[in-house]
Amino acid sequence: MKSFFRMSYPYILWIGIFIVAPMFMILLYAITRTGNNTLTFQFTLDNFSRFFSDPDFIKVLLTSLRIALFTTVFCLLIGYPAALFIANLSDRAQTLMTLLMTLPMWINMLLKTYAWRGILLNFDFSSELKVFIGMVYDFLPFMIIQIHTSIAKLDPNLLVAAHDLGANNVKSFLKVTLPLSVPGIISGITLVFLPAVSSFVIPKMLGGGNYVLIGNLIEIYFQQTGDWNFGSAISLIMALIIITAMWATKKLDRSAQED
Amino acid sequence: MLKKLIAVLLLACLALLPVCSFADGTLNVFNYGEYIDEQVLYNFEKEFGVKVNYSLNSNPEEMYTKLQTGVSFDVVVTSDYMIDRLIKEERILPLDKSIVTNLDQLSDSMKGLYFDPDNTYSAPYLWQNVVLCYDTTKINPEDVEEKGWDILLDPALDGHMFIYESPRDVFMMAFKALGYSANTDNPDELQAAYEWLVKMKQTIHPSFVTDEMIDGMAQGEKWIAMMYSGDAAYASMENEKLAVWAPEQGTNIAIDCMFIPSNAANPELANQFINYVLDYENAMMITVETCYTSPNAKVLEEVTAPGGEFDGVEGYLPRMGYEKDEIYQYVKLLQEETPELLIKVKMQ
Repeated sequence: MKSFFRMSYPYILWIGIFIVAPMFMILLYAITRTGNNTLTFQFTLDNFSRFFSDPDFIKVLLTSLRIALFTTVFCLLIGYPAALFIANLSDRAQTLMTLLMTLPMWINMLLKTYAWRGILLNFDFSSELKVFIGMVYDFLPFMIIQIHTSIAKLDPNLLVAAHDLGANNVKSFLKVTLPLSVPGIISGITLVFLPAVSSFVIPKMLGGGNYVLIGNLIEIYFQQTGDWNFGSAISLIMALIIITAMWATKKLDRSAQED
Repeated sequence: MLKKLIAVLLLACLALLPVCSFADGTLNVFNYGEYIDEQVLYNFEKEFGVKVNYSLNSNPEEMYTKLQTGVSFDVVVTSDYMIDRLIKEERILPLDKSIVTNLDQLSDSMKGLYFDPDNTYSAPYLWQNVVLCYDTTKINPEDVEEKGWDILLDPALDGHMFIYESPRDVFMMAFKALGYSANTDNPDELQAAYEWLVKMKQTIHPSFVTDEMIDGMAQGEKWIAMMYSGDAAYASMENEKLAVWAPEQGTNIAIDCMFIPSNAANPELANQFINYVLDYENAMMITVETCYTSPNAKVLEEVTAPGGEFDGVEGYLPRMGYEKDEIYQYVKLLQEETPELLIKVKMQ
């Protein structure tokens, strides 16, 4: 057992260098003023008050949350029936369907989004609708795969027992399948909501450069104005929102399992 | 024990990876997208027995931020006002004139620009201006010529315009429309330009994009675009319905130059590369591929002569000697404020 632990050292080192250290630097940048050198730090909360006192930034934040929420709900609405359908097929058909589902993921996201740009060019949709379509297309497989996995694990005897006890199809779905697939739904929601809320390539390419989400805002401060302190503050605000959302879904998951 | 050894070895390999790419014969070049004939790079690699790493950026602000992070490049191509700034900040190495001997092939107007009177630090690469490129079957040429930049406030263009997403150029357009200098450091004029752009955004809802507008205009995706003259020249060669116009209110003259950042790993090779690119044959390949104007006197004369590559191509040769056209200077106010203001314009 102990030697197994040792094998995780490289990974722990990896996390330390590429995840923990950068997160710490974002925190440090977010709470300091521009023009720091390595020796003197001027701590400040100005970056945060600047964000929250500007109605334009709040608008961007709300737009990002709204489109991420719509994307997640829509993915769930079409993803669940699809997952259920796949789970009821024969083993061979299931393998094939899962393969078909993951096939688009072999193609680089940039290329797929670029293709969508060409397709959507011919339609007179609003920027928001175009971005929404692109996001649903890109993130749907994550939802379906998660839900399918949890439904496929279901012991078929449970459904047989439900039918034995007089439950019809609808009732056995509501009382057996649905509650037991909640963990899949939760992880599906997490996997769709998180990338959707922070996405910046899709709004950039499909929104015609007119649709600003919080990811695009962060990009501007890092790439163009060079104001890393403010950019970090926005990233931190976003990270806090995501952590809260994850905590809430975890909570939901637990209370659903207790029921 | 064995596992530990493997782990250590794996880590060592990981650590060695970046080292390999910084070997002696490597030249790191940083340039705009769609801005070179890649054959020039291959030829240079072959001739000098080195490897060229070619990276891209989309505007001077992005390039500057990248330099800020301490990444080492040997040759960078960027715009005049950013070079002005970098020279003032002492972040550029002087050219080695014993290697860069091809400077004398430059046109007279491209030698000794205001920020670098003796070409101590920089060598012109290509030049251009910002123009309106429009579809003559959708928009009346007289309209464009009469209104200039103010045509952007015409509701008939709603949803039919591309604007290149470069803060400095977008604000230049507004400054010129309002009759101000593109190099203003007056906050009131900046505010007025911002309001002009907000009004423009709400009237015609343009698409703010970068290089995708080149093919976009060539394929007739939109009716009009604010674009760089070279891109406009390319698009109008592909699509004969397009015309190019530099508004009478004035525009810019942008001269993109090569320079060697002070943290370059291989300055000698960088000097050789700059000299190579300045040379007639390579300057010719680059201008023919990109459709941007060459600073090389002989090349410019040949391609615009009757029967030359760009004979009669609108947009290839920018307007010169017009008093309302300005070369950008580094203005702190504009540098700091325009990127954020531009994103606020987009949000409206």
